[in-house]
Amino acid sequence: MKRRQVLAAGAACCASLLARSAGAQAMHYAAPERFGRPDIASDEGGLWALMDREEKGLRRSPLVLRDEKLKNYVQDIACRLGSEHCPDIRVYLVRTPLFNASMAPNGMMQVWTGLLLRMENEAQLAAVLGHEIGHYLQRHSVERLRDIRSKSAFGQVLSLFGLIGAVGQIAVAASAYAYGREHEHEADRIGAVLMHRAGYDVAEAAKVWNNLLKEVRAREGKEPEQTAPLFASHPAPPERRDILGQIAAAMPGGSRGDDAYRRHVAAHLDEWLQDEVKRGQYAESLALISRQIGSGFAPGLMSYYRGEVYRLRAEPGDQDLALADYRLAAQMPDPPAVAFRGIGLICRQQGQNGEAVQGFRRYLELAPAAPDAAFIQSYLAELGS
Amino acid sequence: MNRLLPILLVLFLAGCGTVRKMESGSHTIGERLAVSIDGSWNHLDFPGIKPAQVWTMEGIAVDELLIYSGIKDGQMMHAEGSAGGKQQNFVFRSTMQTEAIVAMLEGVMSRDNSVFKLTRLEPYRFGGRQGFRFEYEHIRKVDNVQLLGVGFGAVDRGELFALIYHAPRLTFFPRHRAQVEAMAKAAVIR
Repeated sequence: MKRRQVLAAGAACCASLLARSAGAQAMHYAAPERFGRPDIASDEGGLWALMDREEKGLRRSPLVLRDEKLKNYVQDIACRLGSEHCPDIRVYLVRTPLFNASMAPNGMMQVWTGLLLRMENEAQLAAVLGHEIGHYLQRHSVERLRDIRSKSAFGQVLSLFGLIGAVGQIAVAASAYAYGREHEHEADRIGAVLMHRAGYDVAEAAKVWNNLLKEVRAREGKEPEQTAPLFASHPAPPERRDILGQIAAAMPGGSRGDDAYRRHVAAHLDEWLQDEVKRGQYAESLALISRQIGSGFAPGLMSYYRGEVYRLRAEPGDQDLALADYRLAAQMPDPPAVAFRGIGLICRQQGQNGEAVQGFRRYLELAPAAPDAAFIQSYLAELGS
Repeated sequence: MNRLLPILLVLFLAGCGTVRKMESGSHTIGERLAVSIDGSWNHLDFPGIKPAQVWTMEGIAVDELLIYSGIKDGQMMHAEGSAGGKQQNFVFRSTMQTEAIVAMLEGVMSRDNSVFKLTRLEPYRFGGRQGFRFEYEHIRKVDNVQLLGVGFGAVDRGELFALIYHAPRLTFFPRHRAQVEAMAKAAVIR
């Protein structure tokens, strides 16, 4: 057996043992009492003060979603998971099209919209929030801080904060207290317990990582650890998915909350999908959107945006795929107006002028004040209409 | 591009970047784009900024005029790796329709996860060629500043020419918008 095979077998064995151990221990977690504010002169107090400063700026950030209904919905989920720690958890939904969530030691929790776009139901969101609350309850960031400090790198971390000093750069701050693999496994286990106690289906936790794994793998030539920021310091998704699957087997039952989740995020999907498409990560976007179409989540809007991805990727055959998706979206009840614009754009390029004119006209009927209305009018003039 | 701001500040502080004053009058950008300016601009030069030229009126972290001159088919719209290699590289194709060009520019300007919202797209004669003009809102991720922007562009002989200007919405954009509009109006593609 080659050395690599031996190492792989060893890793698999360790993962399996860890999973069994985690499954057996999972039910016995006792959360600590609520944390008091640490002494400002202590290292933990300094970290809290730093995060307080970040949070003050975050409150004013134009990137924070001002939808109180959605915010309260996510806050309520965090409260169900955090139980007696609920009063200390403050949720901020941040418009950033990447899969990420973080929780600072002072109770500030950030959830990025790219993560919300990728969830299929409330239980999946609870899995991520529960994981972050697990870090918080175990004060992993403080342990991490002390670890960094012991390596004489804390000064560099502080200088990093000082240099950036920007509200929107909390991801940088998050990476400064990035956790090790043991912390991640522990947070996964605690998150699963919290999910179970709150009445969620723990099996959805494994699906989060499986879905993300598929998406990241769709990006040619990149391993998960090289792409999503959340993976940089986290255990590999396959390992994580497998361990969470085994933990879930020990805690069956629970609800998924498909309808509630979809109802709450529906008003933002258009904006989040726009942001997703602008990333230009077409393979990832196709994997994500196709998965959501398959799950029956907003099929009209999702089909339109998959068409947009094909149109902008512009590889051979993509025009036809885009047109098929635009037509699909246009046939849905309450179709998005932009689907007709998409039909017009592709048909114009393909010389199908009659259908192009129909598409453009329908688009302008449905969205007369669209930002590109003047440009579409020029196309209609060019097509002799 | 905004992802570069902290890096640029460090580069300037380290003396790796240069600032050159662009006086009123005519200037040729690249080989084929001529612009006339009324008033002085600062032309920033630093490693990794090409193929755009970056000009500013108020300073590096405030307003930004991006000038693209003669971008060829297959050419990248920003310096490779300038955003840490984690974002998509946007490449110009001479076969792109106007909407795809504007979408590409949106992608370039939101590579750092800044928020970009197109508010207007219309036909525009730029540099003597049939082109486009667009307006947008922009929330810069690095400092959460809300910007307004305006862009102009045209494709000629398979090459892209564009001017894009953005600045904080409350003071600086209204202050310099007319100058940029005049610059675009007088631009000539040779």
